[in-house]
Amino acid sequence: MKKIKNRAYFSMFIALGLVFGLCIFSGKLFADGKDWVMLRANQSVFNEGVLDTGTITDRNGVVLAHAGDGVFSYAEDETVRKACFHAVGDYAGNVGTGAISAFNFKLAGYDFINGVASVTGNGGKVKLSIDSSLNAVAYKALAGRKGAVLVSNYETGEILCMVSTPAYDPSNPPDTSTPAYEGVYMNRALGATFTPGSVFKLITLTAAIENIPDLYTRTFTCAGGVQVGADFVHCTGTHGQQTIEQALANSCNSAFSEISQELGADTIYSYAEKFGFLKSLNVSGIDTVAGSVEKGEAGTSNLSWMGIGQYNDLISPIAMLRFVSAIANDGLAKEPVLLKNARSSSERLMQSDTAQKIQEMMSYNVAYAYGKGSFPNLDICAKTGTAEVGDGTSHAWFVGFLNDKDNPLAFTVVIENGGGGLVNAGPVANVVLQAAVAEK
Amino acid sequence: MESFLQSLNSFFAQSDAGAFSPFLNYLVYFTRYMLPVAAIAILLRCSYSMLRERYEPEVWGYLDLPDGSRVPLRNWECTVGKARSSDVVLDEASAAGTQLVLIRDEYGNWTAYDIGRGGGADINGEIIPEEGASLEDSDQISIGKSKLRFFNLTEQERGIISERRTSPGKVIAPGAMFRFVTVFQFLVMYQLLYFCEEQYRAQIALSFAAVCIIMWLYFIIMRTIGRKGFEVEALAFFLSTIGLAVCASSTPGNMLKQVLLLLAGIAVFLILGSWLRDLKRVKAMIIPAAAAAVGLLAVNIVFGSTILGAKNWLNIAGFSFQPSEFVKIVYIYAGAATMDRLYKSKNLLIYIAFSAICVGALAIMGDFGTALVFFATFLVISFMRSGNIATVLLAVTGAGLAGFLALSIKPHIAERFATWGHIWEDVNGAGFQQTRALSAVASGGLFGLGAGNGWLHSIVAADTDLVFGMVCEELGVLVAFCAVAAIIILAAFAVHNASQGRSAFYVIAGCAAVSMMMVQLGLNVFGSLDILPFTGVTFPFVSLGGSSLISCWALLAFIKATDTRKSASFIIKDPSKMHDWNEFSEREAEESGQAEDGTEEDTRDLFDRSDEKRGRGR
Repeated sequence: MKKIKNRAYFSMFIALGLVFGLCIFSGKLFADGKDWVMLRANQSVFNEGVLDTGTITDRNGVVLAHAGDGVFSYAEDETVRKACFHAVGDYAGNVGTGAISAFNFKLAGYDFINGVASVTGNGGKVKLSIDSSLNAVAYKALAGRKGAVLVSNYETGEILCMVSTPAYDPSNPPDTSTPAYEGVYMNRALGATFTPGSVFKLITLTAAIENIPDLYTRTFTCAGGVQVGADFVHCTGTHGQQTIEQALANSCNSAFSEISQELGADTIYSYAEKFGFLKSLNVSGIDTVAGSVEKGEAGTSNLSWMGIGQYNDLISPIAMLRFVSAIANDGLAKEPVLLKNARSSSERLMQSDTAQKIQEMMSYNVAYAYGKGSFPNLDICAKTGTAEVGDGTSHAWFVGFLNDKDNPLAFTVVIENGGGGLVNAGPVANVVLQAAVAEK
Repeated sequence: MESFLQSLNSFFAQSDAGAFSPFLNYLVYFTRYMLPVAAIAILLRCSYSMLRERYEPEVWGYLDLPDGSRVPLRNWECTVGKARSSDVVLDEASAAGTQLVLIRDEYGNWTAYDIGRGGGADINGEIIPEEGASLEDSDQISIGKSKLRFFNLTEQERGIISERRTSPGKVIAPGAMFRFVTVFQFLVMYQLLYFCEEQYRAQIALSFAAVCIIMWLYFIIMRTIGRKGFEVEALAFFLSTIGLAVCASSTPGNMLKQVLLLLAGIAVFLILGSWLRDLKRVKAMIIPAAAAAVGLLAVNIVFGSTILGAKNWLNIAGFSFQPSEFVKIVYIYAGAATMDRLYKSKNLLIYIAFSAICVGALAIMGDFGTALVFFATFLVISFMRSGNIATVLLAVTGAGLAGFLALSIKPHIAERFATWGHIWEDVNGAGFQQTRALSAVASGGLFGLGAGNGWLHSIVAADTDLVFGMVCEELGVLVAFCAVAAIIILAAFAVHNASQGRSAFYVIAGCAAVSMMMVQLGLNVFGSLDILPFTGVTFPFVSLGGSSLISCWALLAFIKATDTRKSASFIIKDPSKMHDWNEFSEREAEESGQAEDGTEEDTRDLFDRSDEKRGRGR
């Protein structure tokens, strides 16, 4: 009997096996529960494959999208709906990078402890960092032109305005096959690259500050252009003798051609890479498109155009926004985020004294060349860009930031085939910034 | 009654209209957090009561050995032999490893069986016959050159034992567990009433009320006849409540039928339990029961209907049931044995043949999961029974049965093995059920969405094979884990009781029953979670299915049979009723006062035989 009694304990090995299995299961649930919940067949979250739960609001609580019990709705105001079309996305799933897809498990209201249970049964709430009224202002300012507007807080990384056009009202989808809606599902702010033109000069300038010791004492001569090898690199005007500050303010191609040749393609490329222009960024879980820069051969005009922002340079608006935010923030880039009060990691892009020098020069740009009168009551630092795209048109760029402790805003505006940077993109930026500052 | 139902409906009508009263919302949301609290309270109370109480060592007789030592006999079935694993080790060269088996019955009469080969043993000079010889006080047993003397207990000593046995309820009041089960039932019922459709409210309310009443009636009746141990039943009612919630969520129209099935299960529990009280008649019925089981399996193979690939169902007069559930009971009944039978090869061979038939029949029917459960139980029983040569025989048979199992891997089984680990690659095909189960589990979180508020019940086999997913989704992962823990506690109980087991039959039967339940549980739970391949067995007590529920309650009888605490189990006859010990105990109680401290390990204090030689204590 003793033997039998002792053997009885072996049954507990089965119990141990059960406990072990449950531990494994708990681990899997903790790790993968988020993905399991997002199975399209999960009727607690999806209704016939469409996310049927959750609310998206902007930073001030304005409802931008809501779903529940098969009823889907967007913002109340039509302009807001259009302006936030790409930021929010749509329930039909046309916009891949909208908040509806990017934060779907947050909308499902999933967390490990409560699953998707909620008191009201309405799923979770996602609060974007975006201010929908700013988006509306930017949308109207673009006035039907294709392009992107980005405004962020360079101290926290929160994106306050993100508009991409063309867009439409998701409550009343039009026929999107017409040329007016070309590329409508793409968020141009995050997912498209454009030829930068003169805004690229900021990168070349940083490289110059850090690699050319006598930059501030040199004189740059512009005779309407400069001969490089067999080609003539033309400039937008004849600028004569310039300091580096004046050369930047004039956006002088002759001066920057000289600087590019001196720096060399490898240096310029490495700075573009260091500043994040050539890789895909991650904005609150949304992957952006990577830009590209091709190295021009030394002694050829390609190298000059490379440093000026033409040749085969392509950058995304979000990368440019991050870059000017870093300049504004004394060299420390806060990663752009789309959720209110989200934690933003930092990366140092340049020394703070380099950043301060560039800040001063960008401020000088406005004072000397763009005119403070165009930006009333704004302590603005900026750079224009008019990027030739080869078919006679140019992309209009206007990028920069406010040197204002109460309004630490960085901005990037690009208008596709929009013409001159200052004249076309500048007013858009002004209108949006005035609205942003007025809200405070 | 009508007005009660009307007020019930109007109370919940707000949820029907979609205009949720915020208070009701918050209330239902809050009950989700209370469910695991109630469940854990039930488990803690039961396990504390079942496992913490220590057993006093019991002595039922003595053997004086040739070397002058006195060995106490601590069980009702003891082995005497040369082997060191024997209860009484004899240093006698001519003795077999296990020479004698001494068995005591509930009346206090000892019988000696000679099971060793070779010289044999005799009592007072007479050879011990095949059917055993009775042992009286002071009898002399000769084995080879060794002479042993046997001493039975005196009247006085029996009285002392009876006095000192712990009855349950010292630490936890017997009714406490049922109170917590009632709280749990109420919470679940509230959630169900909130989330269900209006037409089913009456049925659900009535069914839960009925189960609660049944539970307390059982308690009252048992207390009246003097029984005090209810932990096993409390756990079973807890699990059955979860099963009831599953039924209410997936087939609310069948609630009353479910209650009737529960009643039937309890009835079978009581009947089988009463039958097990008398070991003699238990042993007499083993062969007939086994024959009936084999017959049933044969009928099943010939006439059975195929459902979901397995031909494991019989339809008689509109009722469908699974014969294999009945066979499970018989299998354990036939597999457990008293020790006099354990060592006879003939019995072993019969048992092996029976096992082979069962597993083979299930293999032919294509029910791989149940065949696996039987095989695992076979391993447990054979491990517990195996003596010396027996081990070899059983191992060989084990291999053979494994072969039978392999035969049963029909195409639909092979497919399940292929899908194992890859369910997410074929979400709408082979992985259909398990991916949805996992998704529902994650949606429920730790506290569930609320009973009746899930969607998994609409998936095929959700209330049988995927029931763990349903419980997780609606009642929460914590409650689901508690359900698994309940079965593990039952297993721990049976194993813990083995240390005080009197007859090998009850010990083997109890361990086999809990092992069977645990293996079945493991296959069900981990199959639905894709940790093991999907095998289509049921979750004990919780899965929907009449035959499954009734057979689980029947298995409970075997577990209850291991409980030897005083007045705990209605299956263990109260020894004090069989002698006039009561008088003696009362005298003792008056004279010596309350001496019920159960921490004595030293046998010397148990009986005062200071004028005789002290034994070698263990």
